[in-house]
Amino acid sequence: MESGRRTLLKSLFAAAGALAMPAALRPSSLWAAPLAKVREAGVLRVGLYTDNRPWSWDDSGKPAGIDADLARALAESLGLRADIALFIADEEVSDDLRNVVWRGGLLGFQPCDVMLHVPFDRTLMQQEDNVVFMAPYYRESFGAACSPDAGNCEVVPAQFKGHPIAAELDSIPDFYLLGHAGGVLTRDLVHKRTGYEAISALGTGEADFAVASRAQIEAAMADAPEAGIQKRHGPLPMMLSPGWDIGIAVKENSRSLGFALEDEMNAMIADGRMAALFSRHGVNWQPALASQSAA
Amino acid sequence: MKRRFSHFLAGLAAATALVAAPAQADHHGPTSSDLMNDAASAGDVLSYGMGPWQQRFSGLDALNSDNVSKLVPVFAASLGGEKQRGQEAQPLVYDGTIYVTGSYSRLFAFDARTGEKKWEYTARLPDGIMPCCDVVNRGAAIHGEKIIFATLDARLIALNRETGKVIWNKKTADYQEGYSATAAPLIVKDMVITGNSGGEFGVVGAVQARNVDTGELVWERPVIEGHMGTLNGAPNGMTGKLNATWEGDLWKTGGGATWLGGTYDPGTNLLYFGTGNPAPWNSHLRPGDNLYTSSTLAIDADTGVIKWHYQTTPHDGWDFDGVNEFIPFDATMNGKPMKLGAKADRNGYFYVLDRTNGKLLGAHKFVMQTTWADGINLKTGRPNYIGEGRPGAPNGAEKGKVVFSSPSFLGGKNWMPMAYSQDTGLFYIPSNDWGMDIWNEPIAYKKGAAYLGAGFTIKPIADDHIGALRAMDPKTGKIVWEYKNAAPLWGGVLTTKGNLVFTGTPEGYLKAFDAKTGTELWKFQTGSGVVGSPVTWEQDGEQYVAVMSGWGGAVPLWGGEVAKTFKDISQGGMLWVFKLPK
Repeated sequence: MESGRRTLLKSLFAAAGALAMPAALRPSSLWAAPLAKVREAGVLRVGLYTDNRPWSWDDSGKPAGIDADLARALAESLGLRADIALFIADEEVSDDLRNVVWRGGLLGFQPCDVMLHVPFDRTLMQQEDNVVFMAPYYRESFGAACSPDAGNCEVVPAQFKGHPIAAELDSIPDFYLLGHAGGVLTRDLVHKRTGYEAISALGTGEADFAVASRAQIEAAMADAPEAGIQKRHGPLPMMLSPGWDIGIAVKENSRSLGFALEDEMNAMIADGRMAALFSRHGVNWQPALASQSAA
Repeated sequence: MKRRFSHFLAGLAAATALVAAPAQADHHGPTSSDLMNDAASAGDVLSYGMGPWQQRFSGLDALNSDNVSKLVPVFAASLGGEKQRGQEAQPLVYDGTIYVTGSYSRLFAFDARTGEKKWEYTARLPDGIMPCCDVVNRGAAIHGEKIIFATLDARLIALNRETGKVIWNKKTADYQEGYSATAAPLIVKDMVITGNSGGEFGVVGAVQARNVDTGELVWERPVIEGHMGTLNGAPNGMTGKLNATWEGDLWKTGGGATWLGGTYDPGTNLLYFGTGNPAPWNSHLRPGDNLYTSSTLAIDADTGVIKWHYQTTPHDGWDFDGVNEFIPFDATMNGKPMKLGAKADRNGYFYVLDRTNGKLLGAHKFVMQTTWADGINLKTGRPNYIGEGRPGAPNGAEKGKVVFSSPSFLGGKNWMPMAYSQDTGLFYIPSNDWGMDIWNEPIAYKKGAAYLGAGFTIKPIADDHIGALRAMDPKTGKIVWEYKNAAPLWGGVLTTKGNLVFTGTPEGYLKAFDAKTGTELWKFQTGSGVVGSPVTWEQDGEQYVAVMSGWGGAVPLWGGEVAKTFKDISQGGMLWVFKLPK
């Protein structure tokens, strides 16, 4: 059902083209020069979360992860060098969009040309009119996994009462587990900095059950194949989120750049490069819902 | 003969000093005992709050309610550059120099007679810091040849106060973990005592004491139960009792940041530090009182051991926080002279405690409305909670019920310090009357992932004001007078023996009031909002007043109806100094 803003914009452009509007009369902000400017500078500055494995993290000073690889591939396709700026997540995504995309930080952090890993959600789009959301490239959702000795991973989570259960601090998995079955698991929760660490804890004997995002589960399992972590296949009962799409954001007047990036991402999806890039990190690429219904 | 004798004495004194305290020999400038005497020394302002009790009361009366209407500026000094935003600092004055911290972790020294800049120090901050609540700093501390202040990247820096050159520079916490620092340090017994700040989940509040000469840690006291304190590098006992008021491992990341610093009472040797709200924000996820969040702690200055605690908002679900300053004062209660302390909490209640043991003696509402509690039970010390006043639990499915809550999360009183007059026996509280609609937001995102957030809008609750400066009688809880201000008040208060109360407004005025009646006697437009704390001192036989001007702080970060009262106020960054004409 989600048709996405992109579809709407494309039809607007089509209409403009059909009328053969003279360049001078086109709304200038839609035709602003950020793509040309970025090409001139030779550098694509990409903002990524600094502590968001497997998407992006600081690997001894070098940005690593799915989004870091994607940023490099996108820069390369435009004949540019990627300048990846890792930043610390603020309280909400709208704070990140302000700090990273449209305004910059108060202490000198320069705005980026594009930010990856931005939720592609109609409600969020309506709230944020300083940026444009584009190129939904993945569908994320929450799942669970178990330690090798935990037995049947498909039972209701309440069955793990008395066993250590891991989740990222202050996340939906955390809220879900704290509130699950009237709060019976509250005392068993082991809080980790990230969902990736929560899943990794299943392989070290620190936890028997963990809830995290699907990409975190698959990557942590792939990174420790000998650990014997088992993925839960069934959905989590009463999970608080149905899942969400991930896309990119550019500044409101940088649509030309956004469209160029979106075209390249669509090409990567079409010829299998996107799925290959994800699988290098152990993650099965899943198309965004928005891109499926638009197609 | 007489001359020779005095030489001999001086020689003897020098020799004794060398033997007794060689480290002190080269130092010049205020000692720890000078700092303890700051409230009584009229010729300087050596500490945040003007003395360890931080009553912000001056015994000077040359300037008074009869002549304040003639007060005029002597000079103004700009902090310069493009860096403006909130100037929440309180100036210090010593030896002909005014020291003031500025936004973006800067420290300035100005000539106190001419306003000429002597030096400026700008901390080099990593560009990746994203401070939650503006780039403010609230002031510095002086000791010997050093002036010391905290920076946004959670460092403590000691500079030579004559040259501005760094003497030591210590990291107190990791800014990448979400820690920051904005409060003025407190110096007690040759130790710099600081709290910590950080809005991020995972931050645990703590108080640290460091050697003032080296910056090395002496003791540390985390404020959440279950964490271990240290003294001289060795473990020094657990804070509270593990899992007594927290479930599971939530105590490990329980919050309680001590972001506003503390006060000190030399008589009991106790430090009084307020602690912040618990984490996570939603109270339904952390059953229990969540000690020692939203509390005042009395901490032994020598060891860092907690002697008593008083929790103003057990199981805080409104971000009321409990960091507000606890100001010691002596008064007669029920016919008995007593050692007391008072705190005007963000939750809207003014608490009077016995400062020797933390026993509650009085709790009075100082704002128009509190929807979360109907008074405080003096027997149990706990609030009479109103059940429907608590924001709901997130259920993920749809937008939750909207709860109206007053005070808003910015509090009945926020960071801005109140003052106590030993003359009138009244506390002067810079307060705000505002509420908020709050609801659970099913579609929210954090770090690129779905999240259950809270939506809110702050709104005024009165037609004619948000800010209100209130004179509170601590013995009766009676509000003796109030001054209403259209925009929210966000600056500190000063009171003097000259029957005066000074405070600033976002509209740009520094104002003086009659301490007994609240009559406005004088105002001066400084060109930008005043959110700093004024001070007064005597210099060359005249009484001076100084304040910072520069609009900012947390208020402008929030929009809604409240923003109408301040959206047109320009930024600034200026020190203003006043006196009576000769």
